[in-house]
Amino acid sequence: MIEHQTHSSQRPARAVVIGAGGFVGGAIVQRLQNENVPVLGLTRREVDLLQEGAAKKLAGLLHADDAVAFVAALAPARHAAALMQNLVMAEQLIAALSVQPVAHLVYISSDAVYADAANPVTERSCRQPSTMHGMMHAARELMLKAEAKAPLAVLRPSLLYGARDPHNGYGPNRFRRLAAKGEPITLFGDGEEQRDHVDVDDVARLTSLVLAHRSRGELNVATGTSISFREVAELVVKLTGRPVEIRGTLRQNPITHRHFDITECLKAFPQFRYTPLRDGLARAVRESAGAPQ
Amino acid sequence: MTSPTVGFAGLTHLGLVSAVAVAAKGLRVIGYDPDQDRVRDVAEGRLPVLEPTLDDLARRFRAQLAYTDRVGDLAACDLVYIASDVPTDDRGQSDLSGIASLIEAVIAVLGPSTLLCVLCQVPPGFTRKVPLDPARLYYQVETLVFGRAVERALKPERFIVGCADPGRPLPAAYAAVLGAFGCPILPMRYESAELAKIAINCCLVASVSIANTLADLAERIGADWHEIAPALRLDRRIGPHSYLNPGLGIAGGNLERDLATVLRLSAAAGSEAAVIAAFVENSRVRRDWVLRLIHREVLPRNAAPTFGVLGLAYKENTHSTKNSPALALIANLQAWPIRIYDPAVPADAVNHRALHAAPSALEAARGSDALLIMTPWPEFRALSPADLAAVMSGRVIVDPFRVLDPAALRAAGFSYFTLGAPPLHDAEEV
Repeated sequence: MIEHQTHSSQRPARAVVIGAGGFVGGAIVQRLQNENVPVLGLTRREVDLLQEGAAKKLAGLLHADDAVAFVAALAPARHAAALMQNLVMAEQLIAALSVQPVAHLVYISSDAVYADAANPVTERSCRQPSTMHGMMHAARELMLKAEAKAPLAVLRPSLLYGARDPHNGYGPNRFRRLAAKGEPITLFGDGEEQRDHVDVDDVARLTSLVLAHRSRGELNVATGTSISFREVAELVVKLTGRPVEIRGTLRQNPITHRHFDITECLKAFPQFRYTPLRDGLARAVRESAGAPQ
Repeated sequence: MTSPTVGFAGLTHLGLVSAVAVAAKGLRVIGYDPDQDRVRDVAEGRLPVLEPTLDDLARRFRAQLAYTDRVGDLAACDLVYIASDVPTDDRGQSDLSGIASLIEAVIAVLGPSTLLCVLCQVPPGFTRKVPLDPARLYYQVETLVFGRAVERALKPERFIVGCADPGRPLPAAYAAVLGAFGCPILPMRYESAELAKIAINCCLVASVSIANTLADLAERIGADWHEIAPALRLDRRIGPHSYLNPGLGIAGGNLERDLATVLRLSAAAGSEAAVIAAFVENSRVRRDWVLRLIHREVLPRNAAPTFGVLGLAYKENTHSTKNSPALALIANLQAWPIRIYDPAVPADAVNHRALHAAPSALEAARGSDALLIMTPWPEFRALSPADLAAVMSGRVIVDPFRVLDPAALRAAGFSYFTLGAPPLHDAEEV
């Protein structure tokens, strides 16, 4: 559940986006700039949170009235080493904030913190990660909640898509790239699993709203509508306009679904509207047309 | 013995209804409340609670009813019921301080053989700690149902009586009072009776939660829960009066209190009670059914709607708004103008920055883009589709409790949404 500290929308004095070079961080920077919010985007080039002295360096860049969006992560964290590195990054941020507290902190986490069986997922669902990646986010959330010297909002996005996603995981982004090349889309089983796919710009828009209201607490970032991977593939093929085959395969794992109950978001931001999947995918297809895949 | 005189300490909803019911059985009743204004109002026939037939009954049996704000007047009674309200907080936790001081005050004036019976809802273990000779101390389960309280008080299904020694016959005065109602009397130890009350409510919540869960599924897969429920009621194991109507979560305060009590006692006792926690969560989710529907079906097509809201009470035939789904909804509709009407709840119960209080249901519907029927008041059934079509700006009816006729509204061009059934509208409508 999320609570606003300011009920009217107020632009933060400055937003600092840590992890501005990434897919999500870049979208947040872009969105804030479009909304004329003063932004300092920090990438690994400016501050590498895995380097010695990073905390001090970061503290030197922060102001007391900054709102910080912490997006930086080595993701997906599949192995213990990546898990530990991600925790070190969070530790460095906490150390920096202990030197230079800020006005507000937003952490971009993941729905991977929830138990696989949580369905529909709400902010009250049991946090019981089954993956290293989920455990990484759960541990970081706890670290920040316990030690970060700032009011904390945690956003937990579901599966994200967008033209600039560097990952090629199973789902809209991979399907889009395959379709653009005219290559067949291969599904797990018949693609029955239903998931909630979120336009990356929706994460950015919600982050902007959370910053504007200095919100604290937890909020899932999901549209509330889940569809099957087969439907996603069919939609992608339709949008690309190419005759692409969609292939089923012998199912190796049981079918699982994930749905979200987004009531908390409806209450927190009643006038926010998620981008319908069809519209978001259409934009991703347009934006990536001609871009290197 | 002569006909006993029965006292009621606390002219609350429970106290008033119970006092009038006992008077209606021909017994003399003394109703006490420390609030002078309340006593005067009640004595002059202005009852502070809304309950069908209660006013008439109180008038008819006025000669047997005495009202007082002097606790010492209870000394004339053979049996005194403690019938105060036990308020709860947002988490369903009871505040027992009021009842404890009332009991103390009443005990101080009781005659040496007067019986005391705790009628209001207390947690298991409470009655045994009351500082009175156990042979004179009882706990009686109340099954007040707002909106049907008089009917149930006059014809109770049974009396569940908590005693120090269930093997001993009830004292003559108490037996005479209960015997006047002609229903089974079930004596049991204090703790059993206190838990029996909670058990009854948990069973009701279980039924409602099952109905809610399956109604939600029905909405999504093309079934209609209203076709299913009658079939269940014909099953003897489920029963014709079972609580199978889907709703907008548990409200009113009493059921929430019992769920919170079970969770608290189970946690302390190490007893597994996950299903109770699931009921609470199910209720919380159901409360926002209309809000989710509005965001899914109305706002994507009309970003600046006006909403008509019919009903503010948590259920029909009451003025209570405790945990009312309507008020919970309105709190989340601050961004849009609303027009409200409730037959019993005044508009000042609502906190909204763009509120119009209408004098009738039809006036609340006037100019609204979507009409939300949040309480199934009987008078709303009289709204005709033609009248609604004539006054409303939009064509959306959200009728969780199916007060209106879905087919007639559909025929009049409305999109119609109700609990437990798929929406009635064309794909591109609303």
